[in-house]
Amino acid sequence: MNTSLYVPGNTPLHRLPAGAKFGVLFAAGIGLFLLAHPGVLGAAAAVAAVLVLSARAPLAALRARLLPVGVMLAVLFAATALLQDVPAAVVMLLRLAALILLALAVTLTTRPADLLEFFERLTAPLARVGVADPERISLGVSLVLRFVPEVFRRFQEIREAQAARGLKANPVALLVPLIVRTLKAADDVADAIDARCYPPPRRPSGGARTEENPT
Amino acid sequence: MTAPAGPAPGSAAEERPGAAEPPAPVIELQGVGVGYDGRTVLSGLDLRLAERRIGVIGQNGSGKSTLARLLNGLVVPDEGRVLVDGRDTRTEGRRVRSEVGFVFQNPDNQIVFPIVAEDMAFGLKNLGLPKKEIPGRVAGALESFGIGHLAERHSHLLSGGEKQLVALASVMVMRPRTVVFDEPTTLLDLRNRNRIRDAVDAMAPAAVVVTHDLELVSGYDRVLVVHDGGIAFDGAPGEAVAWYREHCS
Repeated sequence: MNTSLYVPGNTPLHRLPAGAKFGVLFAAGIGLFLLAHPGVLGAAAAVAAVLVLSARAPLAALRARLLPVGVMLAVLFAATALLQDVPAAVVMLLRLAALILLALAVTLTTRPADLLEFFERLTAPLARVGVADPERISLGVSLVLRFVPEVFRRFQEIREAQAARGLKANPVALLVPLIVRTLKAADDVADAIDARCYPPPRRPSGGARTEENPT
Repeated sequence: MTAPAGPAPGSAAEERPGAAEPPAPVIELQGVGVGYDGRTVLSGLDLRLAERRIGVIGQNGSGKSTLARLLNGLVVPDEGRVLVDGRDTRTEGRRVRSEVGFVFQNPDNQIVFPIVAEDMAFGLKNLGLPKKEIPGRVAGALESFGIGHLAERHSHLLSGGEKQLVALASVMVMRPRTVVFDEPTTLLDLRNRNRIRDAVDAMAPAAVVVTHDLELVSGYDRVLVVHDGGIAFDGAPGEAVAWYREHCS
């Protein structure tokens, strides 16, 4: 199972810096919620769709990412049409579709490392006032991106092992071994991170971090 | 029971051109004892490790993995001390780990970034390498293991053998002087086991390999048998494996 959003490539969108892509996404997000003309929103959604296609992601990967979103949008469209009216539902649908497609174009073409580096830069002011350590936030996000598929794989292994012994799907019987195995893996991952000399040396502008006491 | 330690006939030390290789750091264990939850795992260990290829064998639960983790400070001893070129792992762990790399049994828990090249870069960033030097170092390390084509792949979608090679490359890119392996071939099929064996044999740094694969250590300079919380045999591979088969099978 591939739950990662990034698809390697060398398209113009791939080559754009992460900061520029997120800046445009941020501005487009504000713009889309200020606009209410169906024609303009439709054009925006079309442009966003073209951008997604320009990422040259495999169709199967796109289908896997867009199918759940499509279902969600269909439910929202129906609910809005029932509770308000069809024109309002169309505006809502086009606005959300444009925004989601733009976000997908960004995540499809932005390496997780570039994404994390961008967030590190964005949160750097927090480090200067001692609120948070951007490198730790960045590593945490990276671990989530990396290990979501692993947790899903472990879930499938446990389910298969239980099914092989005739056990029907039972949330408690699935979750307890999954949590135990995930916590054990977390210990190993922490060791692996230590073994590779984390954290990086202190930056000149960083906080008071010593070699043996990184916190 | 201890046999004289040193290069065995036909061992890796005889076959490798030692002059081209950096000297292995000397790892010393002095009166080392470790326990978990009130149970003694290792006790009274006194060892000096300086050979280029050292194998560690023993039964499950004998303390092999704990011994491996002591060597780069992932575990610090409850008693005694571990020195790597005179640096105490208790007080200079980070510095020791930059010299002594560690390859884990399960690469799924070692590879911490979603994309292979990013994972390779992680250790280099931690070493404080200038950012512009990192891509070149990463590409070189991947190519040296014949896995340059994996650089942009999702790490969790690789095969078991590819993952273990990536895990090894991610340690080697940091240019350690010694690499400790904790059962590196246990989860692999024969072909991938041989790829890892060949990679370990060919690499320049010294290696300490914890394994159940007795054939893997056959060409090593020295093999330790861990048994009942101590080193039961220390010597040439043939004698060590024979002792292990006789006493622990």
